[in-house]
Amino acid sequence: METLQHILVYLILALAVAFLVYKFLLPKSLIHGSKKNSKDCGQDNCGCG
Amino acid sequence: MSKNINVALIGNPNTGKTSVFNQLTGLKQKVGNYPGITVEKKEGICKLPRGVKAHILDLPGTYSLNTTSLDESLVVELLLNKNDKDYPDVAVVISDVENLKRNLFLFTQIKDLKIPTILVINMADRMSRKGISLDIEAMEKKLDTKIALVSTRKRQGIDRVKELIADHKNLSSAPNVDAKRISPEYFERLQKTFPNEDLYKLWLVITQDVNFMPIEKKRIEDATSFATKSKEELKKLQHKETVLRYQFINNTLKETYKVDFQAAKGLRGSLDRILTHKIFGYLIFFVILLTIFQAIFDWSSYPMDFIDEQFAMASEWIKNTLPPGVFTDLLSEGIIAGIGGIVIFIPQIAFLFLFISLLEESGYMSRVVFLMDRLMRPFGLSGKSIVPLISGTACAIPAVMATRTIENWKERLITILVTPFTTCSARLPVYLILIALVIPKGTILGLSFQALTLMLLYLIGFGMAIFSAMVLNKILKIKSRSLFMVEMPTYRLPLLKNVAYTVLEKTKSFVFGAGKIILAISIVLWFLGSNGYSEDFKNAEQIVNDRIEQEGLSTYSKNYIQNNIDAYRENALAEGIAPEVIQDSIQSMTHYLRERAEAQEIASYKLEHSYIGRAGKAFEPVVKPLGYDWKIGIAVLTSFAAREVFVGTLATIYSVGSDEEETIKTRMAAELDSSGRPLFNLASGISLMLFYAFAMQCMSTLAIVKRETNSWKWPLFQLGFMSVFAYLVALIAYQILI
Repeated sequence: METLQHILVYLILALAVAFLVYKFLLPKSLIHGSKKNSKDCGQDNCGCG
Repeated sequence: MSKNINVALIGNPNTGKTSVFNQLTGLKQKVGNYPGITVEKKEGICKLPRGVKAHILDLPGTYSLNTTSLDESLVVELLLNKNDKDYPDVAVVISDVENLKRNLFLFTQIKDLKIPTILVINMADRMSRKGISLDIEAMEKKLDTKIALVSTRKRQGIDRVKELIADHKNLSSAPNVDAKRISPEYFERLQKTFPNEDLYKLWLVITQDVNFMPIEKKRIEDATSFATKSKEELKKLQHKETVLRYQFINNTLKETYKVDFQAAKGLRGSLDRILTHKIFGYLIFFVILLTIFQAIFDWSSYPMDFIDEQFAMASEWIKNTLPPGVFTDLLSEGIIAGIGGIVIFIPQIAFLFLFISLLEESGYMSRVVFLMDRLMRPFGLSGKSIVPLISGTACAIPAVMATRTIENWKERLITILVTPFTTCSARLPVYLILIALVIPKGTILGLSFQALTLMLLYLIGFGMAIFSAMVLNKILKIKSRSLFMVEMPTYRLPLLKNVAYTVLEKTKSFVFGAGKIILAISIVLWFLGSNGYSEDFKNAEQIVNDRIEQEGLSTYSKNYIQNNIDAYRENALAEGIAPEVIQDSIQSMTHYLRERAEAQEIASYKLEHSYIGRAGKAFEPVVKPLGYDWKIGIAVLTSFAAREVFVGTLATIYSVGSDEEETIKTRMAAELDSSGRPLFNLASGISLMLFYAFAMQCMSTLAIVKRETNSWKWPLFQLGFMSVFAYLVALIAYQILI
């Protein structure tokens, strides 16, 4: 049980660190690559292109 | 067969373009009774009758195609460039029924570019109240177009717009005003030089102040067979064009647009006289501000305490329910404490945005902008800078983007640099927790000291923005100033749906946007606070036990035990419990409290020698002169990612190793400095609030400033200047108050 708890902690820690690196350290151009034209999706009869 | 077409929604500011866009596409972009909300194009898809699929673009508001600022040039750039992938198959000009004459100016310009154009007359629900009657059929003939009468508030007329867009092929693309009439001889020469180009398009390219198509413009200027005119001559021709257009519009409206002033009802004139009065206007605004801050404190204290207690209980429940171990500790001390540090502020954030949204929706915000313009001109800020400064109270990121409406570059730069001083919603949690801890609860004239302190902090931020603008204005030497025009929208009863949507969206983005960062930082901090490499950390239990054996418990622990016993004795005697029973209970209680105090001392020693403790101790000399200990120093450091991380960080640090069910507030209130006084006292509290008022602690804002200025120079300058200034002010405040 103790090993499992340690594994879970390190897994969550890795995720948290990866998120912070992604959010603050990685340049945006590297994340998005070639700029995609994102379109929002609507309701009713209107959807994403 | 389905056909894709491009549709551009264009119009003057505050005519309801985004409302039409939302109803056409079913999307929910922000709307408001406030000009300048859209500064970037937004896009959406809508299926129309007869299998037509429309790609709809919502463009920033502009009064004409003679643009001066970045957001307006977006519109012209698109309309003049047939090769643009978004070049419209049909333009939909949104107008306001009360300002049709002014709105038609833009309509005729777009029509003259030979783009099939539909006219949407919005706010039709106001016609009867304003005594307005329209002859739509005659107007359609005069303008050579199709018209849809729409009320987005009442959701009427949108189907007609969809029908007209689907039928765009039947629309006339003939111009309203013959461009050659502006100057027959000049346009003749222009046409001869560029026989394949559209005349009015060439004219717009020549006369634009914004150099958005340098190659095209250069091609015209370099044409040897065509001698262009001087700037003054071109301006004269532009004036002539304006006169010609208004002649055409007047002729059109003379027969098709009637206003029965006797039937018109409205308080607008008299309300405007009071709300923008040079004395009463400011007084009313001041009273509104006071009410807002009082309400933020009074109304939200109950839900805030409730949330705080729930998180403390949740943390306790996890500890008691899950098997003991590091993961359980992470959940109860790291994750729950961190999330609690942000969720607790939902009520205040919701109230703040409720008021902001009501002010925007009612049309009052534009009057505030007008008032502020008058107040700030002497300080060298243009009226156009006021909109970003006011919207900065929500978040600096859209506020920095809103500076695109400022055509003068240096003026825009100054506004970008000073906007982060205005108190954004991320500062609110920091202020609220510190005010609750260090400002007494008394009142003066029925207003609480705490609410007044909060208002003062908002005013300090705003004042600092103006002061910095004045200094920067002198350094950067701005000679020209922007002309400021603000649309004074009609007063309206706020739509409950719009208000609720804004409150929900803003609160959601605050909680989820900041929440993810806070959660991640809390996890990392918990890990760093629960682990260490030194022998001191590893042998903490042994070292502390040896020390207690030799020297006894610390003064803090002794006081902790004594205070608890005293409180118990007092309550027991008041309840009439027999003294011998009390004495027995005190004996077993002392034993229990001693065990707790020993465990707390071990936890505290471990924390001090953990990774984060080491880092905090190394950083402590920097923040010590400001009255902060190493734990606050760590919270200040992590806040450079985002200010709202402060409370979550402290909540996590204070809960590491703690096994008591405590709220964030009680944990912070119980912290003592080395001399045994509360760590969060008036001096350190004020020092901290002033630090947060002035420091540039938002990486997202820095990134957006970099994007808007296209250089790292300005965000780094901003970061350096604001942080050093914040440090000095906090230092002076602490040294005076201590």
